[in-house]
Amino acid sequence: MGRRLCAAGALVLLGLLVVLPLLRLVSAAAAGGTVGLAAAFDGPDLAALINTGWTALAVTVLAVAAGTAAALLTERRRPPGRRWLRVAIIAPLLVPNYVAAIAWQRAYGRAGLTDQLLGLTLPGLEGPAGIVLVMAVGAIPLSYLIIAGGLAAAAEPDRERAARASGAGPLRAAAGITLPLLRPALVAAAVLSFATAASAFGVPQVLGSPAGFSTLATRIYRDLNFATDEAAFARVLVAACVLLVLALLAATAADASLGRGRDRPGGPAEPGSGASSAWALLPVAFALLLLVGLPLLALVLEALTRAAGLPPTPANWTLANFAAALQGNALRALVNSLLLAALAASLTVAMGAVVVVMGGRAARAVGAAVTASFAIAGSALAVAVLLVYGEWLRDTLALILIAYLAKFWALGHRPLAGAADRLPADVFRAARASGAGPIDMLISVVTPLFQPVLAAAWLLVFVTAIHEVTMSSLLYGPGSETLAVVVLNLQQLGDPTVTSALAVILTLLLALPAAALLGLRPARSGL
Amino acid sequence: MAWLSRWASLCLLLALGVGCGGLATAPATSAAPGTVRIYTSVVQTTVDPVVSGFQAAHPGSKVQVFRAPTGEINARIAADRRAGQVKADILWGTDPLSSFQYDQQSLFADYKPKDAGAVPAAYHTGTLWGTRLLNVVIVYRSNQTAPSGWHDLASPEFKNAVALPDPGFAGGALAALGYLSQAPGFGIDYYRSLKNNGAVQLRAMGDVTTGVAEARYKAGMGLDNDIRTAIAKGSPLKLAWPVEGAITFYSPISIFRTAADATAARAFVDFVISRQGQQLIAGSGWQPVRADVKGPAPLGAQVSPDWTAIARRQSELIAAYRGVFPG
Repeated sequence: MGRRLCAAGALVLLGLLVVLPLLRLVSAAAAGGTVGLAAAFDGPDLAALINTGWTALAVTVLAVAAGTAAALLTERRRPPGRRWLRVAIIAPLLVPNYVAAIAWQRAYGRAGLTDQLLGLTLPGLEGPAGIVLVMAVGAIPLSYLIIAGGLAAAAEPDRERAARASGAGPLRAAAGITLPLLRPALVAAAVLSFATAASAFGVPQVLGSPAGFSTLATRIYRDLNFATDEAAFARVLVAACVLLVLALLAATAADASLGRGRDRPGGPAEPGSGASSAWALLPVAFALLLLVGLPLLALVLEALTRAAGLPPTPANWTLANFAAALQGNALRALVNSLLLAALAASLTVAMGAVVVVMGGRAARAVGAAVTASFAIAGSALAVAVLLVYGEWLRDTLALILIAYLAKFWALGHRPLAGAADRLPADVFRAARASGAGPIDMLISVVTPLFQPVLAAAWLLVFVTAIHEVTMSSLLYGPGSETLAVVVLNLQQLGDPTVTSALAVILTLLLALPAAALLGLRPARSGL
Repeated sequence: MAWLSRWASLCLLLALGVGCGGLATAPATSAAPGTVRIYTSVVQTTVDPVVSGFQAAHPGSKVQVFRAPTGEINARIAADRRAGQVKADILWGTDPLSSFQYDQQSLFADYKPKDAGAVPAAYHTGTLWGTRLLNVVIVYRSNQTAPSGWHDLASPEFKNAVALPDPGFAGGALAALGYLSQAPGFGIDYYRSLKNNGAVQLRAMGDVTTGVAEARYKAGMGLDNDIRTAIAKGSPLKLAWPVEGAITFYSPISIFRTAADATAARAFVDFVISRQGQQLIAGSGWQPVRADVKGPAPLGAQVSPDWTAIARRQSELIAAYRGVFPG
């Protein structure tokens, strides 16, 4: 009874939050007739589709590989300074994507930090290679959190130890035992990385335009500027539907690779054995310095500098940019953003947990649907939400919340589903047999077993929602401005120093809950 | 583990509490009489003083502003129209392109503001009224020799060092393309010569000024207001007013035919064109559309593209341009 009710509730929510807006989008796109469809597939747009596909794929491969390596390092090898290492690996998550691109440009681009100090620039930074690199670095924390959560929730160090004891090297143990066990978490990380990269707007916008390189998301954003006529607007909607199909394909393929019937005994995780020496950490530290440290330093220097283009020496330092970033309605927007992000994170994680308890085919269908809505460029999804709910909820925070839930449900769902696939179905069956309702099961089974994954998913949604730009800038009304709106207003002033200052404030703000999560974690279960 | 559930429930309770408060205090969205609802892409630092000035001049009046970049404004209007009608009384744009196109779809009402006579004929139509003038000029690093006109950007002095805004994205860039593509001695060939000289296309007008300030480029096609603001803050930049004249376009304001309170909307437009409204606009750094109000003054000739032609030939123009600068 309770289970049915929960399942029905989840499906109704899915219908209202995801399916309805998506259908509205598709029908609006179809209303444009074949004109929009034909326009979407002529030369340059086809190129944009191909660009989107291959950059997203490359980002996925890089981010999942690096995220897995990092998770194995911190959760299995117990290196010295593990806590700091985790903070450093997660750090790129705290910088909004569009700001990260600017930070990389200031660090490694023409006239950037390394150019001024050493005469070195990173070739290809402005172009597809740079886009892939910067997006991959931004996506590593996502993979890392999901995979580390998976490791902590369900991987079996005993088996790894057994493999090691019977003579397998650390690499063989990882390849033979740990990675196959982690497959569901890897799939979750891959699907989310792909969808994030496919719908990403900021990085391709900043680094792609100088090279004449565009993706579906940047094209959607650009076409909106000319959306005064119906044909151009239809083109935007069609491009969004193409992204939707791309995501559905990726999610279906990834889910199919999981197969079925993985009733393996689960067990509480213990931190792995085999401490690494500090020397082995040197390359890792060096990579972190290059990938995270220098771009962040460039960002902070930009924020401190009086005006764009002045050398970032103490003589030119000022705090005025920070004051400018916080003037006007920035504080109110900050409250709105925090509130929306906390709500979106809690609700998506709760919905994810309910669906995971439900299990079965319904859960897989939910997984596919929410991934599709996650992969749609934010501006197009916002248009869909506005079309469906604009009449009743115009200018309210609730409208933005609906858009956030539709967009970020996948971030709450996928990591949990990935971890649940690793659990023996017996756990749920046993709980049900002993008369536990879904709520009991959430409290007594899901929460304790998935605690690290729940925390990881919550953090992912929270941070992504705080950074969200394209949806809220279209949906806000008087009193429901988000930080994104303020950021955009600043960017329109064309002042990179103030934008950087706001990004630094945001980063610090987000570092606090992250640090709290890390600090409060008992050493036992990893994350 | 208990800490997590405790902490999560705390977060949820807090969020719900503040949320209910936030939702409850959200202002009513139905337009009460005397309320002006504005869609605008004009920068916040200009909208704010003008709105406060209007409210001071019209005590008791309410103004609701939705400010967003042009693309978001257009998306919002498109969504509004699908759901019935545009839920704003006024559109105050940055460049005339969108407004011209909406005008061709008969979205705007004819209106003649009180001080209509003070607006030069080149900067208004029966439905669109210029509120300020934006000038596309040359920005260059202060250690370079000053370029004198547009052709200098294609000279060896600026090889591989020029940035341009994208006319497929920025209205100002489209204004320049619309004018230069028709101007004698320029045409699309001018853009080809820039491309052959290694010029790079960025997105927004502001990106160009920032890129030149940060020494990624030596010169570019920028907006006078952006450049003056950056120079005032201390960026190592200079502004060159091209000998051919700056390419000037106006920021139009229009009243929607479907305005809920047309009287209030007209009062707002009157105020923006009034001497006082124009002084506020000038005070926020823009050249006012009225010649009889003091503000940032042009440093040379001003030329204007034919917006009716641009609005009609927009996709053709951009296709020709894309043949030179893809993206």
